[in-house]
Amino acid sequence: MSKPLEQNFVELLEQHQNIVHKVCRLYTNNYDAHNDLFQEITIQLWKAFPKFRGDSKFSTWMYRVGLNTAITLYRKSKRTINTQQFDTVQFKISAEEYDSTEEDQLKLLYNAVHQLNDIEKALVFLYLEDKNYKEISETMGITEVNARVKMNRVKTKLRTILNP
Amino acid sequence: MDELELLKKDWVKSDDKFERKSTAQLYPMLLKKSSSIVKTLFYISIAELVFWVAINTIPFLMSDAYRAKHEEMYTSNMFIILSLLSYAIILLFVYLLYRSHKSISVTDNAKKLMQNILKTRKIIKYYVLYNLVLASVSMILAFIYTSSHDPLLAEKIDHFTNKQYIAMIGMFMLVTIVFVAVIWLFYKLLYGILLRRLNRNYKELKKIEV
Repeated sequence: MSKPLEQNFVELLEQHQNIVHKVCRLYTNNYDAHNDLFQEITIQLWKAFPKFRGDSKFSTWMYRVGLNTAITLYRKSKRTINTQQFDTVQFKISAEEYDSTEEDQLKLLYNAVHQLNDIEKALVFLYLEDKNYKEISETMGITEVNARVKMNRVKTKLRTILNP
Repeated sequence: MDELELLKKDWVKSDDKFERKSTAQLYPMLLKKSSSIVKTLFYISIAELVFWVAINTIPFLMSDAYRAKHEEMYTSNMFIILSLLSYAIILLFVYLLYRSHKSISVTDNAKKLMQNILKTRKIIKYYVLYNLVLASVSMILAFIYTSSHDPLLAEKIDHFTNKQYIAMIGMFMLVTIVFVAVIWLFYKLLYGILLRRLNRNYKELKKIEV
């Protein structure tokens, strides 16, 4: 007997939840907002799930729904009180892997990415997720050439933010 | 080293750093209500339809005099045709809104999704605009009708000097303009706030394609 739709969905989401966490990491900067966006993406995924035909990978499908929710559908959480800084809560940085210079550099980099606009963040996200330009262009609805050009501009922008 | 390459190295490693949610935590999340802009737009469009239909129906239900006047007007074919036309237009808007809401899919690419939401917003805008035009025209027609048919008002107007007459027309026009402007500004503000982010991101996407 096939699994009920709900169970099937939750199991898949549980397996691939890091994709959602990563979208939230780029588009929010505190714990509450992270969970709020996670919640909204989960609802959107669940609503769209009956139409998921499995002709693409579940993860690929999640990238699209996750990014669309973050860029277009999501209305920012009302709970915007920034009581806890994101990195100290959602991330468990262990003592042994802590390398202060690289850690500092990464922190600056993440800060720089946070200063990009929503579309630029989406391009960075797909790039970090090792998507090729064809996939990036299909997810965003732009041409491959333009995705490439924009990506180069984003890299330049990041460099400018880091070395003003 | 390319900055993004350094970030990518860390990004790949970050998988085990998130607070993972268990299936038991995920189940209740499916039952929560969405607060997406599409849902808000949907409620606004329903509210729009109900609001304007109510504006046109409530006086009819509440006031006997209004109803009597209406019945008198219904003897004219012209008025019946106009009424039927206005219902047809409402039905047309309901259909267009339904179709455009159905076309919004979160699995489309980002640009298409934004375009479909903006299309829905445009339909609501046209509906509001149509109603505002209709309301202004009705106000003007009602004014002309009352000033010539209401014996009390007609007699008063007869005694008006030119200056008073112009002042009265001016006042009436001012009221109409203010009424339309207030409602229009309200919508501008409402959509401005609701779709600020979408508009900004859509512009940004369009800019890439130039």
